Amino acid sequence: MTCSLSYQEALAAYRAGADPGPLPEPMDPDRLLSAYHPDYLPGSMTTLAVGPNAGEQCQRELAELLQAEACIDEVDLAGVPVADTDVLVIGGGGAGCAAALAAAEKGARVLLATKLRLGDSNTVMAEGGIQAAIEPGDSAQKHMQDTLRAGHHAGDPALVAALVGDGPDVIRWLIRQGMQFDQTSTGDLHTRPAGGTSAPRVVHCRDYTGLEMMRVLRESVIQHRGIEVWEQHSAVELLSNESGQKCVGAVLACRTDQSLRIVRTRSVILATGGLGRLHLNGFPTSNHLGATGDGLVLAYRLGAKLSELDSFQYHPTGLVNPPLLSGKLVTEGIRAAGALLLNAQGKRFIDELQPRDIVSAAIIRECREGRGIHPSSGGVGVWLDTAGLERSQPGLLERQFPKLLARTRIAGIDPRKEPILVYPTLHYQNGGAVIDVDGATTVPGLYAAGEVAGGIHGRNRIMGNALLEIIGFGRRAGAAAALSGHDRGPKKITLEHVNRARRALALAGLPLARRAPLMLPAYTAPGKDLTFTANRAKP
Amino acid sequence: MTESLNTNLLHPRQRVGDSLKRWREAGGGEALALAVKNPAAVLELVKEADLRGLGGSGFPVWRKWEAVAQAPAGTDKYLVCNGNEDEPGTYKDRLLLEETPHQVIEGALLAALAVGANRVAFYVNPDLKRSLAALELALAQWQGSERQQWVGDALGRPVVLELVPSSGHYIGGEETAALEWIEGKFPFPRGKPPYPAQCGVHGCPTLVNNVETLANLPALVRHGAAWFRAQGVGKAGGTKLYSLSGDVLHPGVYELPMGTTLRDLIFVHGGGLLSGKPIKAVFTGGPSNTLLTPADLDVALDFDSLKERGAALGTGAMIVVSEGTGIVKRVAEYVRFFAHSSCGQCPSCKTGTATISRLLDRIDTGQGTEADMATLETLCAMLPGSGRCHLVNGVVQLLDSSFRHFRQEYRQALRP
Repeated sequence: MTCSLSYQEALAAYRAGADPGPLPEPMDPDRLLSAYHPDYLPGSMTTLAVGPNAGEQCQRELAELLQAEACIDEVDLAGVPVADTDVLVIGGGGAGCAAALAAAEKGARVLLATKLRLGDSNTVMAEGGIQAAIEPGDSAQKHMQDTLRAGHHAGDPALVAALVGDGPDVIRWLIRQGMQFDQTSTGDLHTRPAGGTSAPRVVHCRDYTGLEMMRVLRESVIQHRGIEVWEQHSAVELLSNESGQKCVGAVLACRTDQSLRIVRTRSVILATGGLGRLHLNGFPTSNHLGATGDGLVLAYRLGAKLSELDSFQYHPTGLVNPPLLSGKLVTEGIRAAGALLLNAQGKRFIDELQPRDIVSAAIIRECREGRGIHPSSGGVGVWLDTAGLERSQPGLLERQFPKLLARTRIAGIDPRKEPILVYPTLHYQNGGAVIDVDGATTVPGLYAAGEVAGGIHGRNRIMGNALLEIIGFGRRAGAAAALSGHDRGPKKITLEHVNRARRALALAGLPLARRAPLMLPAYTAPGKDLTFTANRAKP
Repeated sequence: MTESLNTNLLHPRQRVGDSLKRWREAGGGEALALAVKNPAAVLELVKEADLRGLGGSGFPVWRKWEAVAQAPAGTDKYLVCNGNEDEPGTYKDRLLLEETPHQVIEGALLAALAVGANRVAFYVNPDLKRSLAALELALAQWQGSERQQWVGDALGRPVVLELVPSSGHYIGGEETAALEWIEGKFPFPRGKPPYPAQCGVHGCPTLVNNVETLANLPALVRHGAAWFRAQGVGKAGGTKLYSLSGDVLHPGVYELPMGTTLRDLIFVHGGGLLSGKPIKAVFTGGPSNTLLTPADLDVALDFDSLKERGAALGTGAMIVVSEGTGIVKRVAEYVRFFAHSSCGQCPSCKTGTATISRLLDRIDTGQGTEADMATLETLCAMLPGSGRCHLVNGVVQLLDSSFRHFRQEYRQALRP
């Protein structure tokens, strides 16, 4: 039965606290995913023709970037100043800061380059919290099982074991850095359950955990004498040794004057985050402006193996209304606290605490089958019943979700009185560069941490594991990179890998016109192309 | 053109790996059987064929041979098969050792027979792990074999085959440095004269030949000098292993007639330049030689033709760079390699190469001035010939020719 409603009609029909009815018989998860999850949309995948993952399936928009030409050529490096450091961290989010701090703690000279400003990242948008098995009834084993199960057992058990094992220590470290967490009345850390967890395990700071985390990380990084920070410097290309097999540095471009800088290092840590701003399959995204998948492109060209390039996470509850905030996140914590999802008929259609991919697929099913709600500004969505939650637990929204209230206030919506319209939003890249427990990629000298790395979350991530990963693996990568050894022989910095990639593209008959990494989405700087013709940096 | 590719040393028939049985099935050992009957004929054959030293010198092989052969027979005589290959852009010896080690061993025994060497040392860079492993397996099959016995009988004393992993230093490839290492010392090049033929390993007459040179001998003995000369183009004889790399579509090692043109090598065999960019320069053989430019595309790649143009074939390495490549950066990179490789015993080389490298780095990173350019030019005039070996000369040659062809590019990188 189709009964798609306009926003006004649906809002008029909505009654807070009305009986949402029993849950329908759940659909087989695999069938639900293959029929409705965006990863399975026809035409969304292509097969990679060149590179370490040749022959594997990859999301189309990403494949175009992985199989593109570099933005610079050797001649662009003539007269470019060289800076030397021990460890170069690319990315100024949580993983980059954690890696920089860990490397500096080991005595390495660290340079942290970020293409926007320190802290401009997805880390600050993480609302729900961070997982760590700290409750008496919980255990690392349970955490590991939950992570692997939610990831459809595609995760690497060794990496997951490292992740969950790091959990309690990561929280301890964060507290030492000065981070605030919500506490119970007795002063213990307050925990919430999350979709796909078998115990309450998410520690949090109201609904802006990531923002609070970034606050203390920024302070620590800025204060550390061993860390130099270059803001507004995009990584244009990595540098390789003579054989093109080892990473020995990177070329950075200053965004303000387009001048280039060469950074020569012992090791490079990619902490560049995800790629939401590629808007895969035309989806809106919860990601920040810089999430253009640069790290994947750079690593792939240098020969690093990637994994799960066909698996992305669409967060179930992105805002639909107003268009300005389209794709912005409504935390999963609100469902963990008890908010329900309702279709246009006011009926529940899915257990809200299923893993994210399942819930997203279910929302897409409701909308595609005509049980969605259409605002006049376009789009479609289902209700997230915040008003019902407020009715059952008065004051909870204000106490625990102030960020949500502030954000919806801009849109003239009061979630305490009316439900909010949500639809899945492109949220997270499940895969990424293949790493070991030290964060080392398959290319010597190149490390990856955070969203750009893969292998931990399998084909679906559960809430709270991203913040845990960026700190846990960020610190692992930082420590390992700081200790990675010196080579015998003169240090050669070349673009040999760019030649190799170009040769592979030419032999595969692929066009050489497209250039990557993007650095910023196309709509950010229209008309600005990526030429760095012998631009000279400031002396 | 493909019928001229890999006709001799790298013919698929010869690439049998480390199995002596398969080498024998491919006709291996025949040359040795011919040679033991008349050892003196081998030297004559080499002279007639005008075989050159293919390790980079292009020096007539027979002249070294004659000197060793004529040395008094009272002491041991050594043959060193030089496989230290470590130059940027050169990959030929490692391929020969890896894919056809028996050809190299048989060639070495032929040379030993011709000059009367009773101790044969295979001097191989340990960084070439696969080559070293293949040679070790191959050599084990010759030890104590009937064929080794033939050579011993012909020489009148047993012939000893020995594998000596080198130090892996670039400078260890210099022939007198190899002698030092084989004597158990650090591979410092010696002053010349005396030449190795007079006073080599432990003061004994010693012949040092490159892997590729020796690998040419079995086919030469089997087919004769006329056949050998016919393999080359024009006056040049035989074939050459060209190591083609850089901005070409199909980089690799190509065995082609000696004297093939640069154009054919790049465009017919190398598949042309990447993404159709124009060619800018070619770093040859080492790359411690003069640069080639697009004007040299039709030059024949053999020792004499290149020498006439003031260039050199060197090891046969051709590093092709296209428009879009910074010459200063490349030269700085290669000079850095040589400066790092300098053994340091000659002060002019030690400080000269380091200074050149430092100045080039300054220019390359946008910090250089006109004064730095002037210093470099002075060094180019002062340094050549001031070292025991050719390392410093090579650096100057590379730098000087890059100045001649690309001065504008250096100027652009200077600090305003």
